[in-house]
Amino acid sequence: MTSWKEKLAGTVREDWDKEIDVFQTQIELKKQGKIEDRVFAETRLRRGAYGQRYDNGQRHDGFETKKLAFPTTHMKGPETFFDAPGMMRIKIPFGRLSSHQLEVQCDLAEEYSDQILHVTTRQDIQLHFIHLDDTPDLMRRLAASGITTREACGNSVRNVTACQYAGVCHTETFDVTPYADAIMYFLLGHDDTMDFGRKFKIAFSGCHDQPCGLTNFHDLGATAVIKDGQRGFRVVVGGGLGAVPHAAPVYAEFVPEAELFPLAQAICRVFGKLGEKANRSRARIKFLVKKLGIAEFIRIVEEERKNLRPDPRWTAFLSDLHHTDETPGKPGSARPASGSAEYLAWAKHNVRPQKQDGYAVVLVKLPLGDFTPLQGRGLADIARDYGAGSVRLTADQNVIIRWVPGGDVPAVYARLAALGLAEPGAETISDITSCPGTDTCKLGISSSRGLAGELRRHLSVVGTVPAAAEDLHIKCSGCFNSCGQHHVADLGFLGVSRNVGGRRVPHFQFVVGGEWTNNAGNYGLPIATVPSKRVPEVVDAMTKAFAAGRQGQEKFREWIERIGKREVKKLVDPFTDVPPYDVDPSYYSDWGDPREYTIGDIGVGECAGEVVSFVEMGLSAAERELFEAQVALDEKQAQRAYDLGFRAMLNAARALAREFNPNVADEREEIVAEFKKHLFDTQLFFDKFVGPKFAHFFLRAHEAGKGDGSADAARTMIEEGALFVEASHACYQKMLALRAPAAGAPAAGAPAAE
Amino acid sequence: MIGDKVSVKLFAKQSLEAPLESYIPVFHQWIRDAKLNELLIDVADYTHVPRGIGVLLVGHGSDVAIDQGEDRPGLLFCRKRALPAGADLLTDALRRAVQAAELLDADPAVHGPKAFGKGEILIRFPDRLHVQNDEASFERARPLVLRALSEALPGATYTLRREGEAREPLTIRATA
Repeated sequence: MTSWKEKLAGTVREDWDKEIDVFQTQIELKKQGKIEDRVFAETRLRRGAYGQRYDNGQRHDGFETKKLAFPTTHMKGPETFFDAPGMMRIKIPFGRLSSHQLEVQCDLAEEYSDQILHVTTRQDIQLHFIHLDDTPDLMRRLAASGITTREACGNSVRNVTACQYAGVCHTETFDVTPYADAIMYFLLGHDDTMDFGRKFKIAFSGCHDQPCGLTNFHDLGATAVIKDGQRGFRVVVGGGLGAVPHAAPVYAEFVPEAELFPLAQAICRVFGKLGEKANRSRARIKFLVKKLGIAEFIRIVEEERKNLRPDPRWTAFLSDLHHTDETPGKPGSARPASGSAEYLAWAKHNVRPQKQDGYAVVLVKLPLGDFTPLQGRGLADIARDYGAGSVRLTADQNVIIRWVPGGDVPAVYARLAALGLAEPGAETISDITSCPGTDTCKLGISSSRGLAGELRRHLSVVGTVPAAAEDLHIKCSGCFNSCGQHHVADLGFLGVSRNVGGRRVPHFQFVVGGEWTNNAGNYGLPIATVPSKRVPEVVDAMTKAFAAGRQGQEKFREWIERIGKREVKKLVDPFTDVPPYDVDPSYYSDWGDPREYTIGDIGVGECAGEVVSFVEMGLSAAERELFEAQVALDEKQAQRAYDLGFRAMLNAARALAREFNPNVADEREEIVAEFKKHLFDTQLFFDKFVGPKFAHFFLRAHEAGKGDGSADAARTMIEEGALFVEASHACYQKMLALRAPAAGAPAAGAPAAE
Repeated sequence: MIGDKVSVKLFAKQSLEAPLESYIPVFHQWIRDAKLNELLIDVADYTHVPRGIGVLLVGHGSDVAIDQGEDRPGLLFCRKRALPAGADLLTDALRRAVQAAELLDADPAVHGPKAFGKGEILIRFPDRLHVQNDEASFERARPLVLRALSEALPGATYTLRREGEAREPLTIRATA
């Protein structure tokens, strides 16, 4: 075999295979300089290929900033070198991975990454230090196992998350898994999700009280509800963490299950139309909801809902809500009450009974969300041998194995111990969540992982943590984007920097009062800023004070509220000082990084993606198809070249027509009709000098049908197609210019309906 | 054909004297001093991962790590991007692994001389497109591996043994 494409032929879904072919072509076109940096950046982000720290070609070595001499000067985005290692984010819908899928990811980590798999706070897997040239093969191998990386990054609908206990949880109203699964694929690549100014995150929860789904800080959160015997969801919209956290207001207390998808589609369309595009820091839907007010937002969405073209996918999945059910491999059995001291210490927090008698969920505590390929294969085997042949990733950056017969729990413990994965204390204070921070993230300010690693070590020492504080949650974010979800921890830490005596010192804002339960019901507030190196002392002071001052079964948040922030601050204040550099230089470097601390390595983040409108993406696709048409012609495939040439025109025409009617389907007759109505009859598409000439190329090609299969016909189609796509670019510029005075802010990608 | 990628691990003769974390500043210094004659990018701290890759010096074409796999520390060299045509993949990797080990031996910040031995070497070919962990691949690789060992580490005679499961990369343990 000479390529993975050849080796995997016939095993990859046809549409996914085609998408990956397209991406591979786009990479080649980028190397040839035929795709603009910005467009390519958003293109690769929508395929899950993210940038990483230092990809701007420079790095501070502790003394000075030095150039990184990558082998080529090709770029893969604005200020982003093509050869720089990047991160691959792999969407795992609701965190479920079959054993086989997990094994595939292990293979990829071994062959393309740094032999580490990282679980994110949104139930994704991330692989780091990957070369972009390797990504098409990586995507093919994932696709062959039923996983797509499409829209894992960029301004798109990101991974759809759900509580990891869905289907086995004692408190759930019903299993939300089939809904999360179906909406993930319904919105994947949906036209109404292509025009966002920022990302859009969806989460499902089976019940209101527990934290697992974390619906309250999502752009769209759906919590299972039954009303009058009918299934539905309590829907919240416009939540988010980031620099300005928002608790999502309630859109509706009850949305019937059959209405959930059209509602989500209408919300996406409104976000695409009215959401902020120019100011990236205010482009999440939470700002739109706040600006309009929830009542007006609901009114607009309901209006848009009426305009949607009915789609059978809205309800098709309801005919079989059991397609995501899991089948246990073994009959249930009772869990033994005795065992070694180590086993019992582990089982205390790492095993939970399922609602199904005789079965347990085993929680595998991953240090900072990381595991090795060897460990991953071991987990896959355990899931096969004892569970239902799958695992789920959690927002706590752990892995769980469900459907373990109670009697087999000790055997599972032994297998985990052999893998080095039997660390006790899952979901306790030593099970710390952290975003990548300065380790790999371009936006990282302080080393959240370094801090989390240090706190893990510190809190794992027996006797360090008072019993009362054992169940607290610590979460660390490396910057204000809050990927570590520090706002909803008992003890949250947010990376910042401070200037001390002319030098930068890594610090963390200390955030208290957050609530992890009730689907992340409350956000904490910062009360002090502490040098990184003193954070462990702060944690000790807080846990000891809580243990000493707690009344009854008072929760940490309740204790904070009772004693007041002023008292809390007094506890922290002794740890805020930084000694001068010549007294203790260790304060001036970060955890796990001996270089003198700097913020000079912070780059331009890609969390926001590039704002590239649907039209721009459509025109880029048309150009790529013209290129493929030329390749086909060179390869003597005249009819294919002809078809691709016409397809390019269709793509360009549809992209423009959707600016007027977002319902335009990807169907030839409809595209032509809409193009005539909005662009030809209005003469908007006409060229200043040659009038309707380029539009006629398209309309005549449509009337001509398939062509005669000759190379001449194909060549003519490609030439006319190229002119039509150029004219489409010109037309789009004209549309933007016409729109600018009314909108008051001329910007590419500005919404059409303002 | 044994692919474009290979990793070579030289095992520590005994447990390392210096804590794993102490390799982090050493690798940062290597970046600063451009020690390995290729583009070095960053240092990744995986000391928290049991039996993981420990401390990783990330380069463009290859990585170097103080690996904790098998619960046995060792120096791991990984070739991840193709070498120029004509260069022998494994010979180059073995030489570079030895070079990195010698650099560490000479650094008093981590340990004394000759911490990493050459008597046992774990060689893996993480390229499942071209090579599987099976007897046929092993037999195909055997002469290439023996030749590379004799060229990079002259004076020693090695016996080879294939290890691991079929789903793992082709894994060969060379013992002098």
